[in-house]
Order: sequence, then C-alpha cells, then structure tokens
Amino acid sequence: MDKKETIEKLKNIVKPYIKNQEAFENITEKTDFIADLQINSANLVDVILDIEEEFDIIIDNQSMERMLDIKSAMEIIEIKLSEK
Amino acid sequence: MIGNDIVDLALAEKESNWKRKGFMNKIFTQNEQLLISIAENPTIMVWNLWSRKEAAYKIHNRKTQIRGYFPLQLECFDLDCINEITFGKVVIKDFVYYTKTEIKSEFIHTIAVENTQHFDSISILDNRKNIRKKNGIPEYFENNILSKKPVSISHHGRFEQIITL
Ligand SMILES: CC(C)(COP(=O)(O)OP(=O)(O)OC[C@H]1O[C@@H](n2cnc3c(N)ncnc32)[C@H](O)[C@@H]1OP(=O)(O)O)[C@@H](O)C(=O)NCCC(=O)NCCS
Repeated sequence: MDKKETIEKLKNIVKPYIKNQEAFENITEKTDFIADLQINSANLVDVILDIEEEFDIIIDNQSMERMLDIKSAMEIIEIKLSEK
Repeated sequence: MIGNDIVDLALAEKESNWKRKGFMNKIFTQNEQLLISIAENPTIMVWNLWSRKEAAYKIHNRKTQIRGYFPLQLECFDLDCINEITFGKVVIKDFVYYTKTEIKSEFIHTIAVENTQHFDSISILDNRKNIRKKNGIPEYFENNILSKKPVSISHHGRFEQIITL
C-alpha cells in the first residue's frame, strides 16, 4: 500500500471525530490528532480501533502511546502491515 | 502543579460508545474494568475513571514533558466516596497524583493535585484573564506581578472549568 493510499484511508477514519475542518482539509504528515484536528482524547481510542479494523492489524499499547499524529500513525500502520 | 478534567455526560453519551469492542482493554486496566463491571452505573464509572486519568495526565505531562497516549499507565486506585465527592489517586510509574471527583447528573469533574493538602486551596476562575500559556498549554495564573499560581483548564460540551491553586 502506498503512502497516498494510507493517508486517504486515515482521512476517512478520522473524519467523524474531527472538530477543526480547516486543519482536516489541509492535512499533512505533521497534522496532530489532538492539537490540530481537535479530536477529543476519548475519541482517540476510536481512531485507533478504526485503524485496527480498517487495516486488519493490532496496535499494541507501546505503539498506541505515540499515535498522536498522522506521521506516527502511518509509521505504525506500515510496521504492523509488514509484520503480517 | 494541578490538573482538571470535565466530562459533559450528554456529549460523552453522544460521541463515545465505551461498549464498543476493544475500547475497554485500550483504556482501562483489569482492576478498573472490574470496578466498572460491578458499578451501579457503569457508564458513570467509565467517565469517572477517565476524568481522573485525564486530570492526572495534565499534571504529569507538564511535569515530565512526556506527551503520549498511555491511559493504561495512568491507573486509578483507592476510590473513596465521602459526601458525594469521590477521592482517589492515579499512579503512573513512581508518580502519584491525588484526585477529587464531583459527580453530578449532567457532568463529572475531577481535580488532580500533587499533595492532598492542596484540595483545600483550589479556587475556580470564571475567565481566562491573566492565564499565561506556553505552546497552547496553560503555564500559570498571574494573580499579580509577584505571584504565579498553577492553573488548569478543561472544557467539554456545555461545560468549562478553570481552576487555580
Ligand atoms: C491534555 C489533553 C489530554 C486535554 O484534552 P481534552 O481532555 O480532550 O480537553 P480538555 O478540555 O479537558 O483540556 C483542554 C485544555 O487543557 C489545556 N491543555 C492542553 N494541553 C495540556 C497539557 N498538555 N497539559 C495540561 N493542560 C493542557 C488547555 O488549556 C486546553 O484548553 P484550551 O486549548 O481551550 O485552552 C490533550 O490536549 C492532549 O494533549 N492529549 C495527549 C494524549 C492524551 O490524550 N493523553 C491523555 C490520556 S493518556
């Protein structure tokens, strides 16, 4: 799966939880789930569960700790997919 | 340092489904899950524990500069209810934060402190005047030029709570 495809899937996943439409439209790897997209921290777990379902991977607690922005989410997805 | 977290129960009901598969195991330890399962009102217990973790995180993050999503590491202990206010502590590694949680029909609000004596000196601010922030994070409340006090802000749905020491 290429980066573009991953980021598109991620956009669809975070969409229901975002509070900042402008940051969402201008999403980049640097975009922070909480600081930029203003996803509330209880919904971050939904984002993580949705990622697990969409990519059919398991995100361990250590990986979850750093799941705070698009870049780390993409890295973790890539690692978990390669381990499959 | 102090921290707080408010949960608008109506909004939480609307935005979160804590019964969703996988949710519990990502956020609550085995002991916390047990507390939820035996609670008279499990939903209230979910947001009660969650607000404690968040309030403690707000101290922990500013103290250690560690930013991350690690709800399982912030474990709630010693829940004790006195006159409708529940006390307790949140432990993460070698750090202990003390919590005081108010549970109302519309919201849950937790205050976290580093020293239980501080509970008595907490006061509520009704606006953000004189709150100094650094990178979007509240640093302190400037009472006057000579006194800087710790501060914490939380808002959710219909509610906002700003506290200082
Ligand atoms: C600190 C944090 C948890 C607060 O998010 P929240 O519960 O969704 O929102 P709240 O309304 O309770 O708190 C937001 C307010 O807290 C303050 N705040 C922001 N980051 C903070 C931090 N790191 N420490 C203390 N206070 C913080 C701000 O004043 C903010 O409101 P404002 O921007 O309008 O001034 C979140 O912003 C964050 O950085 N999360 C990182 C990962 C995480 O969620 N960890 C917690 C569980 S392990």
